[in-house]
Amino acid sequence: MEFAFTEREEMLRKAVREFAEAEIPPRMEAMEETGEFPMDLLKPMAQVGITGIITPPEFGGVGMGYLARTIVLEELGRVCGAFPMALQVHHMACAALNDFGTDEQKKKYLPRLAAGETMGVTAITDPSGGSDLIGMKTVAELKGDKYILNGRKCFITNSHLADFWIVIAKTGEGAKGLSAFIVDKDTPGAKLGRKENKFGLRGANTGELVFDNCEVSKENLIGQEGEGLSVALKTISETGRTGMAATALGILQAVYEETGKFANERVLYGKPIGTLQAIQFLVAEIYTQLDICRLLNYRASWMKDQGMRCDTETGMAKYYTCNAAVEAAKKAIEIHGSYGIMKEYAIQRLFRDAMVTVPAGGTAEVAKAGIGRAALAPFKKR
Amino acid sequence: MNRIIVCVKPVPDPKHWDKLSMDPETKTLKREGIPNIMNPLDKHALEAALALRESHGGEVVLLSMAPPFAKTTIREGLAMGADRAVILSDRVFSGSDSLATAEILAAGCRWIGDFDIVLCGNQSIDGSTAQVCSQLAEMLDLPNVMHVTGLEESAGDNLIITQKIENGYVKLASGVPVVLSVRKEINKPRYTSFAGILAAESKEITMLSNKDLCVDLERIGLVGSLTKMAGLEVRKSERKKEKLEGTIDDIVEKLVERIYQYGVIEG
Amino acid sequence: MDKKRNRDVWVFAEQRNSELHDVSLELLGKARELADRAGGKIAAVLMGCQIRGISRTLINHGADTVYVADDPELENYRLLPYTHVFENLIKEHKPDIVLVGATAMGVELAPRLAARLRTGLSAHCIDLKLDERGDLLQVVPGWGGGIVATIACPDHRPQMSTVMPGAMRALMQEERKGKVEDVPVDLPDSNMGPEILEIERVVAGEQPLEKADVVVAGGWGVGNEENWELLEELARLLGGTVGATRPPVDEGWAREGQMIGQSGKTVRPTLYIGAGISGAMHHVVGMDQSKHIININSNPDADIFETSDVIVTEDFKKILPPLIEKIKSRIGKR
Repeated sequence: MEFAFTEREEMLRKAVREFAEAEIPPRMEAMEETGEFPMDLLKPMAQVGITGIITPPEFGGVGMGYLARTIVLEELGRVCGAFPMALQVHHMACAALNDFGTDEQKKKYLPRLAAGETMGVTAITDPSGGSDLIGMKTVAELKGDKYILNGRKCFITNSHLADFWIVIAKTGEGAKGLSAFIVDKDTPGAKLGRKENKFGLRGANTGELVFDNCEVSKENLIGQEGEGLSVALKTISETGRTGMAATALGILQAVYEETGKFANERVLYGKPIGTLQAIQFLVAEIYTQLDICRLLNYRASWMKDQGMRCDTETGMAKYYTCNAAVEAAKKAIEIHGSYGIMKEYAIQRLFRDAMVTVPAGGTAEVAKAGIGRAALAPFKKR
Repeated sequence: MNRIIVCVKPVPDPKHWDKLSMDPETKTLKREGIPNIMNPLDKHALEAALALRESHGGEVVLLSMAPPFAKTTIREGLAMGADRAVILSDRVFSGSDSLATAEILAAGCRWIGDFDIVLCGNQSIDGSTAQVCSQLAEMLDLPNVMHVTGLEESAGDNLIITQKIENGYVKLASGVPVVLSVRKEINKPRYTSFAGILAAESKEITMLSNKDLCVDLERIGLVGSLTKMAGLEVRKSERKKEKLEGTIDDIVEKLVERIYQYGVIEG
Repeated sequence: MDKKRNRDVWVFAEQRNSELHDVSLELLGKARELADRAGGKIAAVLMGCQIRGISRTLINHGADTVYVADDPELENYRLLPYTHVFENLIKEHKPDIVLVGATAMGVELAPRLAARLRTGLSAHCIDLKLDERGDLLQVVPGWGGGIVATIACPDHRPQMSTVMPGAMRALMQEERKGKVEDVPVDLPDSNMGPEILEIERVVAGEQPLEKADVVVAGGWGVGNEENWELLEELARLLGGTVGATRPPVDEGWAREGQMIGQSGKTVRPTLYIGAGISGAMHHVVGMDQSKHIININSNPDADIFETSDVIVTEDFKKILPPLIEKIKSRIGKR
């Protein structure tokens, strides 16, 4: 068991950190105000390799695996959580195509995603509830050799930034009743709906997609008809959870750094407040949580890279890190005193950003239900 | 363009300079435990080389006089896109001043051979003498130009060089080979790509010692350094808080002096 | 080392377009001090075309001799021709010390010359002293100014230094005696380096705050929009950019984008000049990485002075107008 990063991983971290620290801060004010993602950075990120990190080289990516991806998203999140949130969904589209797509589909769509020509989108959540996928109301009815799509998808990250979407829709009943489709933006009947106005991770575009008798060719099925639930669950549990967990991890790292700086700058009673035990205890808790979350994150993505089943571990990383980020941010605000509630200081944004990671990409409760079942499984009586 | 050599220097990361301390006996700086980065201006030099390679082909070779542990920093240059690297490392090199360093780098350039341009950063953030470019060129018996802010190829292998001087620019036409040192205004260095990091792992780093270079021992290291350190003081990086007194005229006079000393207005 | 060497101190007289750089005069002042102590003479080395007239100024600032190399080949500075001429002069007369201003020209020329002569050179000196034996001690900064080193060149001559403009003091100009010696210029046939295509004079334009080399910032103490004009004029003069704290932005004297601080921009200029700024923490964190900080505030207790290199406890309205005039006249000489 080795707990050190390789030289390759260290170089990767350094490269992303340099990019993130130089390019993101000048854009953050506009992102907070408008909620819009700076698309002018998409191609530069593609050139660095961020958009294609898990895509195999034969399709234009760098194929560096999930641990590398966690490092990349963490470093981006350390500067601005909206970035890993947008990119991790982009990677979900890459993963769905890579794991379930035909060779033609992969050749057609993966290079465009890797090159940053478009953002990637996985439109899974219906207004009927992302936690209840089988209950979704968006239907795809087979008529001849076309599927007619009707319904709405909401809370979709990158909805308005993509040239095509991966959409999960109902083609039958029960667990084999869902199917995954690639829908090009210009398809008649496919429309962009409203944009959502989040209170955190602003700058990660979130919106609705509307399908009104939208005709989708059979060739655009990803996998078999009826395989949609597998596509959705695998993509969410392996790529989505690790992505959101890494986003929250980056935010948590930023919380720690802001706190450390403030505690050493702010003077009360003639000394920096970092000399007071009460502050030290709070910081110790933040620091320990940060370390726990790093281990959960790195271990889960390592397992994915080894080809091991890891949905329990990704579930733990996701629910735990997102909640830990919120709690740490809350403590950090208190350490900042009244500065903590001022918009001029970063810590309030980190708090809001952390909170948004909690429901995004899967609620803690859904994760815990799965973890609980897995934890109890060894003790089940035959 | 056949070959461009880029001289790079690993320097202690400024983010950790507050950990620098002085050994009171040897009067040398203790650099242990401080991670290295590539000298920032060398990155601009490397970017200039990579840009030339993109438009006119050739090979970009990194050259560095550095201890063996500097390999990581050099590999970053390979990740940025250089083709290979040569590191000159030997205990007899240590303690070299800029002249001795130029001797060693010149030997390295000759070992690599067949080059058109040697590119450096104008100065390093630690020693910052800005002397190596001119001295290296002298050793190689080649022309040199410092303060380069623009570099283009014109017909054949000729170069159009823009040099920044006080209050303006000089445009020069030069043949090759030539030694150039750049200012940061010349370009924005590209970000390291992940593909570059992977590719760098299989790029060649050649380590050379003085056995390979055979530089006269009298001309390198402490022995070959004609400038000697007679004293060293660590200055606290605190604000000077110098209060200007006197009449308004006195104060204004002193303010102008200060502004001139800071290099903001030319004398 | 030849024990019968003289103790002469030479200064490179830098000129462009027949305008002498002030540093040359400052170095003559220091040279006088060094030569007097050691019992040597001072010479200025002047190269160019039709620049003989400058000799009088050099002599009046302390040069005992001015070596003038006047030739069309030397009209505009080129590294290799200037090195060649300088090298021959030094080899002929063997001065003990050669001082060059640490300007764009000097920083390129001096190292080439030192390497050719095989002697030691120290860079960007801020002070020069003599030790007990009369050898030169050269004080240089390093590590971004965090280190001050004293360099010596005990076994080789001439001892050479490039010296920071403004570090030394010129002598008062007065009618002095001195001689002018014309130096024949005979450049070799070999490659004399790049050819000059064009020399362009450029006045620095305004940079975005984050990249600005000079920042002139104002706070609540500036008082009104009319007074704010003074800061803008000073910034223009210095090729700098104007910045502000929150109150001037609220008052409309400055734009939101000019705000420096926690919720504004972070600046890292070579020079930050503040006027009427109190120095609250959320502004200071945006400018405390400036290399040099000057602050003008009539309140002697202003917090900003804790983060300043130069403090002026006067009303900025009294300081800025004469400051602007003085800088104009100083720059105007060029």
